[in-house]
Amino acid sequence: MTKYNFWFFSSFIVAAIVALPILTVFSSFFLETSFYFDLLKKTFLYDYIFNSLTLLIFVLIFTFIIGVASAYFVSFYKFPLSNFFSWALILAFAVPAYIYGFSIIAFFENYGTAFTILTNLFGDFNYNIYIPKPDGLIGSVISISLSLFPYVYILTRSSFLYQSNNYIEVGHNLGLSEKETLLKIILPSARPAIIAGLALVSMECLSDFGTVSFFGVNTLTTGIYNSWLAYDDLNTANQISFVLLLFILVMFSLEIYSRKEARYHQPGRGFKPIQKIKLSGKKSLFVFLFCFTVLFVSFIFPVSQMIYWTLKYPKYFSDINILTINLNTIIVVGISSLILVSISLIINYGNRLSKNKILNYLTNFSISGYAIPGVILAVAFITFFSNLSDLVSENTNFGSTKKIFIGSIFGLILAYFIRFFSLSFNGIKSSYEKINNSIDESAYLLGYSKAKTFSKIHVPYLKNNLILVVVLISLEIIKELPMTMILRPFNFETFATQAYIYASQDLLEAAALPSLFLIGWASILLLFASGYILSKKN
Amino acid sequence: MIIIIKKKGNMKNISLIIISLCLYATSLFANEVNIFSARHYDSDVQLYEKFTAKTGIKVNVVSGKSGALEKRIAEEGADSKADLYITADAGRLGAFSANLQGGLTSSAIKSAVPSNFRTNKWVGIAKRARIVYFAPERVSGAELSGLTYESLADPKWKGRLVIRASNNIYNQSLVASLIKNNGKAKIAEWSKGVVNNMARSPKGNDRAQILAVAAGEADIAVANTYYLALMLSGKKGAEQQAAAKKVKPFFPNQDGRGTHMNISGAGLVKGAPNKANAIKLVEFMLSEEAQNHIVNNTFEYPMIKGVSPHPLVVNMGLDFKQDLKTKVVNYGKRQADALEVMTSAGWK
Repeated sequence: MTKYNFWFFSSFIVAAIVALPILTVFSSFFLETSFYFDLLKKTFLYDYIFNSLTLLIFVLIFTFIIGVASAYFVSFYKFPLSNFFSWALILAFAVPAYIYGFSIIAFFENYGTAFTILTNLFGDFNYNIYIPKPDGLIGSVISISLSLFPYVYILTRSSFLYQSNNYIEVGHNLGLSEKETLLKIILPSARPAIIAGLALVSMECLSDFGTVSFFGVNTLTTGIYNSWLAYDDLNTANQISFVLLLFILVMFSLEIYSRKEARYHQPGRGFKPIQKIKLSGKKSLFVFLFCFTVLFVSFIFPVSQMIYWTLKYPKYFSDINILTINLNTIIVVGISSLILVSISLIINYGNRLSKNKILNYLTNFSISGYAIPGVILAVAFITFFSNLSDLVSENTNFGSTKKIFIGSIFGLILAYFIRFFSLSFNGIKSSYEKINNSIDESAYLLGYSKAKTFSKIHVPYLKNNLILVVVLISLEIIKELPMTMILRPFNFETFATQAYIYASQDLLEAAALPSLFLIGWASILLLFASGYILSKKN
Repeated sequence: MIIIIKKKGNMKNISLIIISLCLYATSLFANEVNIFSARHYDSDVQLYEKFTAKTGIKVNVVSGKSGALEKRIAEEGADSKADLYITADAGRLGAFSANLQGGLTSSAIKSAVPSNFRTNKWVGIAKRARIVYFAPERVSGAELSGLTYESLADPKWKGRLVIRASNNIYNQSLVASLIKNNGKAKIAEWSKGVVNNMARSPKGNDRAQILAVAAGEADIAVANTYYLALMLSGKKGAEQQAAAKKVKPFFPNQDGRGTHMNISGAGLVKGAPNKANAIKLVEFMLSEEAQNHIVNNTFEYPMIKGVSPHPLVVNMGLDFKQDLKTKVVNYGKRQADALEVMTSAGWK
């Protein structure tokens, strides 16, 4: 029997709010489009699809190679600094792809940093024509791959950690070489984790806005934005969104499916931790160089470029109101992540109490927010709330409600909520499911009330997990660009918007300082959470 | 409650202002003006601070890319708090004029700004020309003589020209002005010629085009005037300063209607809650003090008479013939046509 109690309605409301943008996008699919959609179909739509697919395929290839190889090396081998690399490699997460793109252009452009270095080393010469120019699609692939590979690295590595040494011994007994063991035993059993990582990469890759628009590559995501902005054609924007969402939903289902599979790979009895093989000689050097190169290219390079610029153009220290931006960031990130985590925790608890199937479906549906690119979400957000406001003011005396939702801190936090609810809800859910129901029953037998069970047993048990989820969400919000750009109030900048605005105004050197702060905050959060990220699954 | 540290005057003078996170927070400040700005030079912010110091009117800014700002103003409709929309292209202002209102008609504005650089809804604040840059080592005076925008399609430039992408508003406005003067069919052909002449697929901003000529990737580039001065000033580093010296400016269409001019401008938003303050701010930006500040920071040309551009801009030459015949209001009107001819020609 379905119980329509408090838990049901609170879950229902949250699910409905989070599902708003997706419903807005879907509902507009059947509306008329303008002349633009025809023009688009004739000229650019295939271009958009081609670019999106090319980007996706190459990013998947690169993140797979970098993520799996580095996870394999640090999990199975000992080599110089291998322990250091095992956590340092996740630092790439702190550098958003668009900021990576700024560094690439800064370094490789005509008369850029590479030119300066060569001139200082070897004297005056026109090196420009010999310096490669990784821009456009190539630049986008490099930037996105290097900022997203940690998804694959983290998930693959944690799956490796749960592989028992027994399997590897079996392999050895069967006379398999190291390479054969890798291909026939290690990789197949890590497959669900790898696919889950790649699915996350593809969702993020397809939603990327900042990087591709900086490099001037037209993808489905920028197509949506352009048709909305330049041609004032919301319906076309929503219809392209529909195509993109189909893409993403496939990836999304793949991810959920792989995660379910991954559950069967929990360590059982007779689990033996992996005996790391100590490498020496050429092999050791190769593996060390591989990991070092990944770390260098993905993290040290962009950070150095930003530091170099900040020092070279110190003027921006006084021009940019760093203190205010720091405060803005802390406030928005703090409020949003606290709200997200509290509500996710409560809804999780409600689901646990009521064991309601409909409730489960509802919350499953509402997690789609993360699959929708930020740009689409912002577009749908504005569409929905301006329509709602018109409806309200036509039928009541309430007046316009646009100001409440569009261009306010409240609206911004609501948008973050929609986008990141799934991340926080599922992050908590995976841990919550590990608390056996018999524990609750024992607590009730001991005379604990429901509230006391929640506060004295669940919350303390989940504490580490809650901290981790807060950190991960803060990380996402700090890096978030398109929604913040579109929805933020007057006189309000975050590091991401400040950096992007300078960059789009041909002031990359001014973008360096906010970028550095962004990377700095993100690195602190990552290091803080690295213990959790690297030791646990999920 | 939320605490915001607000910069007042200079960095050293930071004062704490506590603002309650009330939904109508900004309406607490009665004496203010709200700007949606697609120009976010720090020098503009300094200018607003000067204005506040003079008048006591607080200036609130949302900056962003022009498209997103326009969209937000349009979607917010009558509720928009925006008073002024400031952007760096007449084409933008023209295309957005349905969301602007008349009222920029005070005698101070009319006497300051020539009529081809304003309408009653928006006015130019500063000027720039979109010109050709060339490498003197590889391009002779004879080759350049009589160069027009129209002749950029001439096969003699095959593989020698760089220009940025067609989605760039400066290019859209340039092509719009060409359509206005030559007709759409002719410029459709012209676009194909230009695409054939490109040394590389369009990429990067205006400055990147000039640097490509300096680096030897191409012989001529199309870009706005202030970029060269910006690089010559050393603000972009010693390397680019040296690179900029390898390139020379050329002002096209001198024998005909003159060089293509464009503006940075401000539009008065429909339903602006602080209309009077907005007009005051526009008048201030057209004052001698503000114009001097603008030209010395952004290297644009002044909008008003009696103010001299930055010396580096003066060095590029001031005695060229400006196209004052083609009204800048056409850039918005012909924008769709311009985009259409460029994209059909395969101009990325």
